Amino acid sequence: MAKQGRIIRIGPTDNTSDQRTPRQRLRLIPEGARESFVPVAPARFAAGPHEWDMTRTAPDRPRAEGVPIEVTGTVRTQSGAPVRNALLEVWSANHYGRYRHVEDHSNLQLDENHLGVGRVFTDEDGAYRFWAISPGAYLARPDIGRWRPKHIHMSLSGGAPRLITQMYFPDEPNNVSDPMAILMGDAFVRNIANPRDIGGADVDEAYDFDIVVGGRNATYFE
Amino acid sequence: MTADLPNALPATNEDTCGPYFPIFFEDPALEDLTFVHPGLIGHAKGAPIILRGRVLDRHGDLANGAILEFWQANATGIYRSPANDGHPDIDPWFHGFGRLRSASGAYEFRTIMPGAPQGRAPNVTITIFSDGISRIVTQMFFEGQSTNATDPVLQAVGEDAPRLLARHDGRTSKGEEVYLFDIVMAGDGETPFFDDLES
Repeated sequence: MAKQGRIIRIGPTDNTSDQRTPRQRLRLIPEGARESFVPVAPARFAAGPHEWDMTRTAPDRPRAEGVPIEVTGTVRTQSGAPVRNALLEVWSANHYGRYRHVEDHSNLQLDENHLGVGRVFTDEDGAYRFWAISPGAYLARPDIGRWRPKHIHMSLSGGAPRLITQMYFPDEPNNVSDPMAILMGDAFVRNIANPRDIGGADVDEAYDFDIVVGGRNATYFE
Repeated sequence: MTADLPNALPATNEDTCGPYFPIFFEDPALEDLTFVHPGLIGHAKGAPIILRGRVLDRHGDLANGAILEFWQANATGIYRSPANDGHPDIDPWFHGFGRLRSASGAYEFRTIMPGAPQGRAPNVTITIFSDGISRIVTQMFFEGQSTNATDPVLQAVGEDAPRLLARHDGRTSKGEEVYLFDIVMAGDGETPFFDDLES
């Protein structure tokens, strides 16, 4: 059977997904045009040296409310090669589930010690590390009582590898009803961080979250 | 492809960027590719253009909070990719990668007119991230280019090819050629999107 492009599925109970998901089957890229579909992000990023510590707004400021956590991991391609010197942009809600974003009109509690944005780089082994406040879950659909589970957003840019994803937490009651988790199906486990010992870090919890860039998106089907 | 190899690592799932991609991460140098930085001498070769348009949902409403990433060849048709390292026609003041976040869903992106890559018509690859979706990818062309008739991507989409053509809308007082290109994410007039991982 001839190869076909995929059809993107719509996230259940997700109004925006219904409004914005293409309905047509994706078109196949002709062989002669493949190079043009692989953008290469230039390695000229800017980030503050303190942005790895998202548990405070600046080194001389107190810790934000909630549970400070450390997140570490490696970024690799599917063949196992480390994605080196790549930019990892991280954003997450505060302890109360509020983003310090001018478009978050939820009226949930802000925290004067929490920005929830930070940028870090992978090293020569593809490894990264940051501190954050364990984010609060929040009620995304009050009309049907659906919550967004605790999650941390990550955007990875490094040469050709490109990924925007979310890291979830194990055993959270709202994981099973999350629209995107439902689309991921059994592959959702790949997006759940693994708890580990905190070692000597000045945090209360620590997680490993290894990222592999490439391959099929499990939220598509053929 | 890599995913078919027996030892390939299972890929992390893409996920939606959600509505709150930080405006804090915006970089003006990625929103105007005609110069390298406002404080440095260094202008990209080629004719400056403005791409202007809207990202629309299936109801025709603006898709607020959309992130657009642009990728194109330089004025001589050469991509700044590892495969072209050391190529004599690399423009040192043009890397060809842009990114902007549109609060409203309307966008304006300044760049230079791409040259025609070998065997292709001039084009700009556009990746869209937004709440409700993971990455979707399309490729935009310029009306009136003679190479459009033989471009493999335009040929592959057949009768939908006009939906990938930006319309020329005159020239600004600064001499920039203006092109209009709306992206319809879903529904009537849906823009053709491409399967960037499996083809």
